[in-house]
Amino acid sequence: MSLAKSPWIIHVNCNSCNGCDIEVVACLTPLYDAERFGLLNIGTPKQADIMVVTGSVNYKSVNVLKNIYNQIPDPKVVLAVGACASTGGIFHDCYNVIGGVDQIIPVDAYVPGCCPKPEAIIDGVVAALSILENKKKGNIRGKEVKLKGKEVASNA
Amino acid sequence: MNVNDVLTAVLVLIGAPIIGCLAAGIDRKLTARLQGRVGPPLLQPYYDVKKLLSKDNMIVNESQNLYVVVYVAFMILSLLMLVFKADILMIIFVYTISSIALIVGGMSTGSPYARIGSSREIMAILSYEPVLILYALAIYLVTGTFKLSAVLDASTPLLMYTPLIFIAMLFVLNIKLKKSPFDYSTSHHAHQELVKGMLTEYSGPGLAGIEIGHFYEYVFLTGLIFVFWTVNPLIGVLISIAAFLLVIVIDNITARVYWQWMLKLSWTLLLAISIVNIAFLYITKPTLV
Amino acid sequence: MMENTVMLLITVPILFSLLFLVLGKSLYKILAWAFFIFGTVFSVLLVMDGTGRFEITGSNFAMIENVVLILEVLVILFIFFVSAKYKNWPTLGLAVIVAAISAYSYMNVAAIESASFNIDQFSQVMVLIVNIVGTAIILFATGYMDEYEEHRHLNRQKTFYFTMSFFIAAMNGLVMVDTLGWLYLFWELTTLCSFVLISYNMDEEGINNGFRALALNLVGGISFAIAIILLSTKFNISTLSGIGTEAASATVVALPAALLCIAGFAKSAQMPFHSWLLGAMVAPTPVSALLHSSTMVNAGVYIIVKLVPAFAGTSLGTAIAVYGSFTFVMCSALALSQRNAKRVLAYSTIANLGLIIASAGIGTPLAVAAAIMLILFHAISKALLFLCTGEIEHTIGSRDIEDMSGLIKKAPLLTILAALGMVSMLLPPFGVLLTKWVSMQAASQNPIVIVFLILGSALTTVYYAKWLGTIMSSTMDKNVVTHKKPETYFPLSFLGSAIVVTSILVFAIYDYFIRPQVETLLNAAPVISGQAGQFASEIGAFAYAAIFVVLALALLIYVATKNMFTPRKSSYYMCGENNLEMDRLMFRNGLCSYDKSNVSNIYLENTFGESKLTTIGYAISIILIVIALAGGVL
Repeated sequence: MSLAKSPWIIHVNCNSCNGCDIEVVACLTPLYDAERFGLLNIGTPKQADIMVVTGSVNYKSVNVLKNIYNQIPDPKVVLAVGACASTGGIFHDCYNVIGGVDQIIPVDAYVPGCCPKPEAIIDGVVAALSILENKKKGNIRGKEVKLKGKEVASNA
Repeated sequence: MNVNDVLTAVLVLIGAPIIGCLAAGIDRKLTARLQGRVGPPLLQPYYDVKKLLSKDNMIVNESQNLYVVVYVAFMILSLLMLVFKADILMIIFVYTISSIALIVGGMSTGSPYARIGSSREIMAILSYEPVLILYALAIYLVTGTFKLSAVLDASTPLLMYTPLIFIAMLFVLNIKLKKSPFDYSTSHHAHQELVKGMLTEYSGPGLAGIEIGHFYEYVFLTGLIFVFWTVNPLIGVLISIAAFLLVIVIDNITARVYWQWMLKLSWTLLLAISIVNIAFLYITKPTLV
Repeated sequence: MMENTVMLLITVPILFSLLFLVLGKSLYKILAWAFFIFGTVFSVLLVMDGTGRFEITGSNFAMIENVVLILEVLVILFIFFVSAKYKNWPTLGLAVIVAAISAYSYMNVAAIESASFNIDQFSQVMVLIVNIVGTAIILFATGYMDEYEEHRHLNRQKTFYFTMSFFIAAMNGLVMVDTLGWLYLFWELTTLCSFVLISYNMDEEGINNGFRALALNLVGGISFAIAIILLSTKFNISTLSGIGTEAASATVVALPAALLCIAGFAKSAQMPFHSWLLGAMVAPTPVSALLHSSTMVNAGVYIIVKLVPAFAGTSLGTAIAVYGSFTFVMCSALALSQRNAKRVLAYSTIANLGLIIASAGIGTPLAVAAAIMLILFHAISKALLFLCTGEIEHTIGSRDIEDMSGLIKKAPLLTILAALGMVSMLLPPFGVLLTKWVSMQAASQNPIVIVFLILGSALTTVYYAKWLGTIMSSTMDKNVVTHKKPETYFPLSFLGSAIVVTSILVFAIYDYFIRPQVETLLNAAPVISGQAGQFASEIGAFAYAAIFVVLALALLIYVATKNMFTPRKSSYYMCGENNLEMDRLMFRNGLCSYDKSNVSNIYLENTFGESKLTTIGYAISIILIVIALAGGVL
């Protein structure tokens, strides 16, 4: 139970329209107070457990996403917040968009919505916590993601 | 070294982090209440440390965790010396070792965020170190010795003769606990403009070590405040708690300032009132009996 | 037995200097090793011989006295010659004054019949410093100078080694001789050698700075010479120890004592005279190390500590204490704003000498003990730091502190040695901090001095912590291949281990050397006891053993737990925009090109800069010296 009681999240904005970001930050406000679960929005991936990603992935942000994913120590889970992060959303067929976060890194939980309500996000985090616990128990490690994959356009 | 001493030492080793952990929990709870939130459970700092210990040890170089060990070790040593009423000047120097260890640890990672944080923490040393040593000097002037035992044996509280230094020490407490308005080297809650400042590159067990060190530091710093009123330990403890709560309240009602501002405050106001206090002690030559 | 050792300690370095002059470059390394072994063995032998004094009388004396006279004339002639050659009129003017005073004293002062050498514990400590640290520096130079000269297209190594060895001979004489006339000769010889060494590069800057050192030290020399004349004509004192014994009965020697102190201030580069030491940084690093850690500047504080009986407890003593502590705080503040590592060390040296002078001025047994111990510990730490800076400069090609970031990756051993030197300057349990602690305790009766010491001590912590953090930061990936020459790395490691060993044995050192010395100086021993690894005075206790134990414990715990948590390496947090191919410190900017992140330390140049503080420093220090002189006359 040690992990579930103090989930520290890092919030990565890939290509979001800022709608989901505002809702993520709203979770920390007094109205929703995510800190009552011990949840902290920590700045550095080195200290985070849960990676909260908003927005679809495009060619410019793909390396950032991978880098930050690699810098989070195990056990870790990835939470895709919002329609864009889950599937690419309304941007899915844009010329510069690769798609949802799961195209690049393994995602453990999805929070649908455009944008999702804070309650839904907190619910997603809580769902991610049990996955986190399972990963710890099963000693499941996130793979180091290679930086140069096939999805990177040559001009990136 | 008799059995009692060993027992006390063990008690401090185990008890101090528990008290420090609770203090940190109270800090977070109180902060939450002041912001109109429910806040995390009281034992949240304990959960945090437990979690960090079970995480991977992610490092940027081999030596960065050595500084953590040195920091915690000397934090414990300075606390033990305080408990065993050693030489106050010596205690402050030992405490400096642990501060420097953390700074060099931050610098050693080489991350730009950590280096800026460490640079600012060095400026914090410049701000509080003279006040701390003047505090030691005040103890010498009223007791005739640097040994803390003299203060503890006296029947008049130290605060009677050193009210101004007490005020200066409250600021030192604020700077050392890294609370707003002086929380620019690294901060405990959420992230700031330097990500996590000095501690950006620490993770898992390394960060857990630093947190445990902070627990000892909470006890050590409030212990320094306790020395002001040792005649009646209850009042001393109350003053320490009051000082600690005051720092938390200040933390919540102020915004972060520039480090230059802190330096100016310290080298003008704090040093001035401390020196006035010291001058007063030189002239009146009171003795604590 | 002792006489032989003393004579050998003076003559053999001269012999070595001549050997350096005649033998070829290829033999320098062997000579330096031999010199190092000689210095170590004979200084230890001198300590084994014990303390005491002996006189030189009769024909021997007459012969040496003539040599001394000839040398004195030669020194003055040499100064005339160089100052005329380079058209440096102020120096020439000072030389004229020196010549006039010498002529006056030759005619009017009664000739002495015998000369004496006085070997006390303090002399032993100084001989140990000069001969072990000093020769280690010369050994370092053999691995350093070739590269140095290559960069600057110089070929003056013969002069260099000749002067360095000669310097050690002069310094040995200075710390052992008791007769003031002879002491004065050695004093002027060190001045002269320092001129030759500082202007070693023979460029305009070097020569100007050399002349500055020469001129300022001549001012001190004049003050010294006047003091000798006053002492012998008015009080009939011709020995250094005589001043102390005379002072016990009467305080009339205050004026000559003050004059001798001013000579000491000039030699130790205290505040109004400090510019020569800063200028001396143009010289090669071994010169800086030799002059500013173990020999030249120590001569000044040596004289001042020896004079303690003459001013202990008087208003002159208090004035000196305030003056010394003022220099301490001022130079520590100036060091804060410096980026040049050698300038930081220069200011730190002046500051620490100020601390020694402040301790001597306080004049209580505890303070004098602190002064002598600080001379010892400071010499070792500072020699190490200077040599490390020199070696760093050869490794990375810069002496700017900011350029040293990432040094731990480039030259780990060198960095650790430099870090040891810095840590020993600012943290317990090492000797320098222990003595700072002792002097703070001793100064706590004097409000001005103690406040200065407190401020200076905080500033010291800051400027060393900055530098320490910078060299320890691992900001580079590339490893530079360093040429680990035994001639350079042996002295560095030797000095590094000397710091640790002396710090562990601090109480034994105190017991053997310093307590008896303070007893002879002040007829009272400091109340210091050392049980269970504590250094306890009557008002405090310094538990250095506890710190060593905890330090060892921390290292053990670290090694034991290092692999308990599987370490995983990763790159810096750069908001994810890392560039892993080229440089870990690079990041991708908004234009998709790469920038390098660069963080510099805080130097507070607007507050503590040289332009802001130097004038104030000059003004206040001159006022303080005038007060000290006035205190001496009244």
